Amino acid sequence: MTAALLDGSARAIAEAVRTGAASAREIAQETLSRIKTQNTALGAFTDVTAVRALAKADAIDAARARKESLGPLAGAPFAVKNLFDIEGLPTRAGSKINRDRPPARADATALARLEAAGGVLIGSLNMGEYAYDFTGQNAHDGPSRNPHDLEHMTGGSSGGSGAAVAGGLVPIALGSDTNGSIRVPSSLCGLFGLKPTYGRLSRAGAFPFVASLDHVGPIARSVGDLALAYDAMLGRDEADPAQADMPAAPASPTLSDGVKGLRIARLGGYFARSAESSAIAAVDVVARALKADRVVELAGSEQARSAAYLITMVEGAALHLERLRTRLRDFDPDVGDRLIAGAMLPGAWIAQAQKFRRRFRTEALALFRNVDILLAPATPCRAPRLGQKTFVLDGREMLVRAHLGLFTQPISFIGLPVVVAPVWTEGERLPIGVQIIAAPWREDLALRVARALEQDGVVRAPVARLS
Amino acid sequence: MTPDSFDPEALADAMAQLLGLTQTPESRAQTIVHLRIAAEQAEKLLSISLDDQEEPAPVFTP
Repeated sequence: MTAALLDGSARAIAEAVRTGAASAREIAQETLSRIKTQNTALGAFTDVTAVRALAKADAIDAARARKESLGPLAGAPFAVKNLFDIEGLPTRAGSKINRDRPPARADATALARLEAAGGVLIGSLNMGEYAYDFTGQNAHDGPSRNPHDLEHMTGGSSGGSGAAVAGGLVPIALGSDTNGSIRVPSSLCGLFGLKPTYGRLSRAGAFPFVASLDHVGPIARSVGDLALAYDAMLGRDEADPAQADMPAAPASPTLSDGVKGLRIARLGGYFARSAESSAIAAVDVVARALKADRVVELAGSEQARSAAYLITMVEGAALHLERLRTRLRDFDPDVGDRLIAGAMLPGAWIAQAQKFRRRFRTEALALFRNVDILLAPATPCRAPRLGQKTFVLDGREMLVRAHLGLFTQPISFIGLPVVVAPVWTEGERLPIGVQIIAAPWREDLALRVARALEQDGVVRAPVARLS
Repeated sequence: MTPDSFDPEALADAMAQLLGLTQTPESRAQTIVHLRIAAEQAEKLLSISLDDQEEPAPVFTP
C-alpha cells in the first residue's frame, strides 16, 4: 500500500494521510528505505535529512490525531536541489568549495512554503556544479543517472531532481532554471517540469548563478502535483528583490478547465532547426493532439539564445571570480574554464545583450496578442550517454554541456512561463519533452494544456523500472 | 573589439594576467575553446542593429 502510494502522486499521498489510510511516518520511512536501496544507482541524493523528515511526519500525524486540518501536501515527501538552503547544512550548490561554508541558518523560502503546506523534506539533490551545466554530471559527487537508462544523462543542472522523481524516490523535487535546468532534466527523464515566470516565485535562500535569469520551480510526475507545489510556493517575499509585485494566482482551481478556446501554435524557424527528428516528432504528437496546426515565428530567437549565453557567462564569472582566483583547482574543470572565459568578455557585448532582451520581449508580447500557447521542443535530442562530450546537430559537432539547452534558453531569456511535458514513443526506452509556453504570468494556461494532454494519455511520466 | 578581430589566445593571456588568474595549459586551452564559442554567439547578437534610445533590461519584469 505504502509502496504503491510512493509510485503515485503527492496529491494521493496527502489524501491517504488525511483519511488515515496511511500515516505520514509510514510514508517517510518507506521513502527513506527506497533511497537507501536505490540512491547508489541513481546518484540523486547528496544529503538525506532523515531525522528532520521523521519529526515532521510525526508532527503531521499528531495534528491529524488532534483533528486539525492538514495542508494540501500533508505527508508528501519532497527533496530540493542542493543549492537551496536547508537549515543546518552547508549549501553546496554542486561544488566542492561551498562545503566549507557555515551551515545555513534558515530554510530557503520555496522549501519552507512546501513544508508549510504539509510537505516532508527528505533531503538535498545532486546537481551540476554551480548550476552551470545541462548534463547532470558532477565532478565531486558523481553523475546523477537517468532512471530510464542508467548509462544515460539525466540532464542538468537539476539532475538529481530528475533522477529522484523519475526513480520514484519522491513525487516532487525543487530545481532551479537559469537557461533550462528544470526543463532539460524534465525532458530527458520523462517528467513534468514548471519554470514559472521570471520574478514569480521567491528565490530567497537559493544559491545564485545569474541574477538576471535565475528561476526556481518544481519537477513532478503529474501535472496536478506541479500545480499543487506551485500554488504552495506563491506569495510575496521581500527577501527576493527580483520578485515581482504580482497577486498570487493559484493554478489548481482551473487546472481541469481544458483547452477549449485556447489559441495554440507551434514555434517554427529557429525551433524547427538544429534538432534530431525525435524532438520534432514529439512536438508533432502534442500539436496533433491539441489540433494546433498554426506555425508562428518568434523573430530573434537565435540572437536571444546568444544573448542569454553571453549574459550567463559574464554574470556567472563575476559571481565566482574570487573563487576562480584562489581555488581554481577545486572547480570542476568543465565549469571553471567556462567561467574564466566569461570573465574575459567585452562589456559592450553584455550591454547589447541586455538591450536586446527588451527588444525580444516586445516581439514575444506581440505574438501573444494572437496566440495563448506556443509549443517547441525542450531538448534537441533524447538523453545523451553519460560522459558524452559532443553531439552533432545540423551537421555540426557541438559541446553537449553548452548546447543541450539551445531551445530552452531563448524562452527563459525573457522569463516566459513554461511547462515541459514528456512524450514517449513506442519502442524507445527514453522520453523527450515538449515546451508548453505561455505569456508572462499565465502559468495557469500552460498547466491547463499539460493537464489536458496528460488526461488524454498523450504525455505521461511513469516511475522508471531500474535497469 | 568585434568578432571579426577576435583573437581568443591573445585575449586569454592578457585577461588572465589582468584578472590575476593562474591557469594550467589545459585550463588555458579550454578557456580558449569557450572564448571561441562566446565569439560565435556574440557575432549573432551583434548582427542585430539596436537604436540608441532602446532601453536595456537589467532589472526585468516580463
